[in-house]
Amino acid sequence: MTEIVDFKCLRCGHEFTGPYDKKMPIERSCPKCNSNSVRKIKKPIKK
Amino acid sequence: MSENDLRVGVFVCECGSNIAGSLDCEAVAEYAKTLPNVACSIVNKYTCAEPGQQEIKKYIKEHNLNRVVVASCSPLMHEPTFRNCVEEAGLNPYLLEMANIREHCSWAHLNDWDGATAKAKDIVKVSVARVRLLEEQIESKVPMTKEVLVIGGGVAGIQSALDLADAGYKVNLVEKEASIGGLMATLDKTYPTMDCSI
Amino acid sequence: MMDVGRHPNINLYTYSEVIEVNGYIGNFNVKVRKKARFVDETVCNACGECEKVCPVAVADEFQQGFSSRKAIYMPFPQAVPSVYILNNDDCLGHNPIACGKCADVCEQECIDFDMKDEIIEINVGAVIVATGMDVYDPTEMDEYGYTKHENVITSMEFERLISAGGPTEGHLIRPTDREVPKKIAFIQCVGSRSHSTTGNPYCSNICCMNTIKDSLLIKDHHPETEISVFYIDIRAFGKGFEDLYIRSKNAGVQYIRGLPGEVFEDPKTKNLTLIVEDTVANTVKDYNFDMVVLSVGVIPRRDGGAIQKLLTLSRTEDGFFMESHPKLKPVDAPTGGVFFAGCAEFPKDVKDSVTQASAAVARAEVLLNSDMISIEAITSECFTDLCTSCGICINVCPFNAIRGSDAKTGTPAEVIEALCKGCGTCAAECNFDALSMKHFEDAQIITMIDAMLDENPMDKVTVFACNWCSYAGADLAGLSRLQYPTSQRIIRTMCSGRVDSAFVLHAFEKGAPIVLVSGCHFADCHYIDANRWTQKRVEKLWDKLERLGIRPERLQMEWISAAEGQKWARTMTEIDEMRKNVTKEEVEHTKKVLKEDREKAEAKRAKKQSKKIAPKTNSPGAEISVPA
Repeated sequence: MTEIVDFKCLRCGHEFTGPYDKKMPIERSCPKCNSNSVRKIKKPIKK
Repeated sequence: MSENDLRVGVFVCECGSNIAGSLDCEAVAEYAKTLPNVACSIVNKYTCAEPGQQEIKKYIKEHNLNRVVVASCSPLMHEPTFRNCVEEAGLNPYLLEMANIREHCSWAHLNDWDGATAKAKDIVKVSVARVRLLEEQIESKVPMTKEVLVIGGGVAGIQSALDLADAGYKVNLVEKEASIGGLMATLDKTYPTMDCSI
Repeated sequence: MMDVGRHPNINLYTYSEVIEVNGYIGNFNVKVRKKARFVDETVCNACGECEKVCPVAVADEFQQGFSSRKAIYMPFPQAVPSVYILNNDDCLGHNPIACGKCADVCEQECIDFDMKDEIIEINVGAVIVATGMDVYDPTEMDEYGYTKHENVITSMEFERLISAGGPTEGHLIRPTDREVPKKIAFIQCVGSRSHSTTGNPYCSNICCMNTIKDSLLIKDHHPETEISVFYIDIRAFGKGFEDLYIRSKNAGVQYIRGLPGEVFEDPKTKNLTLIVEDTVANTVKDYNFDMVVLSVGVIPRRDGGAIQKLLTLSRTEDGFFMESHPKLKPVDAPTGGVFFAGCAEFPKDVKDSVTQASAAVARAEVLLNSDMISIEAITSECFTDLCTSCGICINVCPFNAIRGSDAKTGTPAEVIEALCKGCGTCAAECNFDALSMKHFEDAQIITMIDAMLDENPMDKVTVFACNWCSYAGADLAGLSRLQYPTSQRIIRTMCSGRVDSAFVLHAFEKGAPIVLVSGCHFADCHYIDANRWTQKRVEKLWDKLERLGIRPERLQMEWISAAEGQKWARTMTEIDEMRKNVTKEEVEHTKKVLKEDREKAEAKRAKKQSKKIAPKTNSPGAEISVPA
């Protein structure tokens, strides 16, 4: 199932949102610096 | 084979001035001699040319080499060439390793003589480390069934089936619809000749 | 077409589907389902008596629904094989037999209501995929009113209207009043070159020339007809194409650059009005027509997924099959012994389809001409004593080259060498080192990392590059003389899928400030989807590094194609800047925590191993005894 999640670029530090699918990995790139070192940010656990 | 029996030959290529123009090939070859199991290390003007290849074969025989490192261009360029070369000298082609000091080094660092030379030494060092652990590989063979399946009976499938059948091979043409012809058969005329499609 | 039917070397299976493919290059075992056509092909002489008595009339698919056919029919007059077919869904008398009129009149007695599907098994050495294409359905493009206005038709429908074998015997009439249309518009790029929500982004290649051809056909039949073509660009690039375009223009066909925003119908006359911005004359004008033809594009076959699975092929983002190499192996599939011909690979016209078909045949014959063929030496192998039958390798292999590894039966994994392409993903994913990749073994790569980092590790960026794309991208950067810092050291693997987590961790433990894992863009992966696993693995590594207090930024990932020398050089420059920001203390800390983590894991594994070897007294298997 595709969900919209937060990503962080590990090259330039830019944060953005985009689609993510656990089963079907899609190619991701940072909209700012174009790097593929894009990491899905785990949602902070709400208290 | 024990480690002591390993005999590595290193062949540093100048590639005219393509490599020698940006880094110190002699220094790289001298450095290679200090690496473990390296039995000989020489510089060639063009290793891929016939004299260069003859030199590799000569050294394999004279120095009883059982591993070869060619420090020259990209393996995507000349790995097949040098694999053939060492095979002709009686070595298994998979006992060759290429150190890419042209595309990844001399050409990328045209104005940094020392940096490029140091990097080339490192690349050769890594290649020598790897070649020591390489093993012979045999390409196995499987029999070939001389019959073909063509999936789809449109114009491309029809042409494929006819060509293969005319060449004497048995062809199985599978078409989903009740007749072959595909989309082409529904066309009236086809360009550029403006003739009938069927 | 006739030649196919009577060629002694061709077995023709129509109304049939490939349902199963096993084996590998040189030795495919294929199962074909020959669906029941309820007419015995070997006996039917196409006399047509059955059709005359059939009481059912349904829309004729071949004539695009413009005329009707019976439930028992000939697909089209020149059909090969030239035999009738009975459509099970349309027939009244099938189950229970209520009608049966056709069977009564058939003198050959070839109609068999009880005919069943047949499964045929064949062995072949090579496969040519010529599955073709489908045509774009303009229903979703509401602005052109294809479903609302009867006189708006598609170019495929037009073909039938102008064809001598069509429902009107070649008399061009419009659907509403059966009058000859005096003013006809063609709208180009319907479903093609679209970047909105409807249609496809690519150019369908054939529609410009098809419209030019159609305009000339109309001018042949009715020279007085006014024809206007609305286009974005006219792409007449092939041999003789420009000639036809000029001929069409000289015949008086108007070419207007601009696509209509909307098509309106006059409810009384059923004539059509197009509002078009002419981007050459810079005017917005209304145009009136009797009939509008939508020049519809080509789409991948809707049922392409089935063949893709059967032959482990891959498809580009457009949905067409992906070739082995776009320039140098344009007809080879990534699966050995499989070749493409025609529109299955991309939209093309008749000439190009024929050309590609002959090319595919030539490529196949290279194989067929030899009695034995060599297969890839660089394959993976399984050390069965280490295999725990967990099945991960089967899951990750893009080529279905691993079998066994069944936890239920305890069968260890077995690599089918002829199917293995050597990406090494299984070796990277195996948690027990049971799978090893020949020529790219763990030890062979670890020793490279050691040699690279045992002196001045702080000055070096460890780069893993895949053979096909990123390594070639680095080659191109050099070839283009793009300059970047000397810090980069490359380790080549066949696929980024081979890059074991252990390699990355080992490099960090040896003091690497930065590690880069690079590979092909997803669409370019030479091992179908092996680099998806690379991404998953890197994601896990980022989590692990963070858990251990190591900045995940120190592990970088980049997809760089063989054509992206620029991207390579830019990436190397950027990453070298990042390297300079890594401190000595940071690296020392990393070395320490990774060493501890590794030793902990090793100890745990050793403990587990010793438990496993200990004799089992109460194993469930021991309780099952076979009665004597």
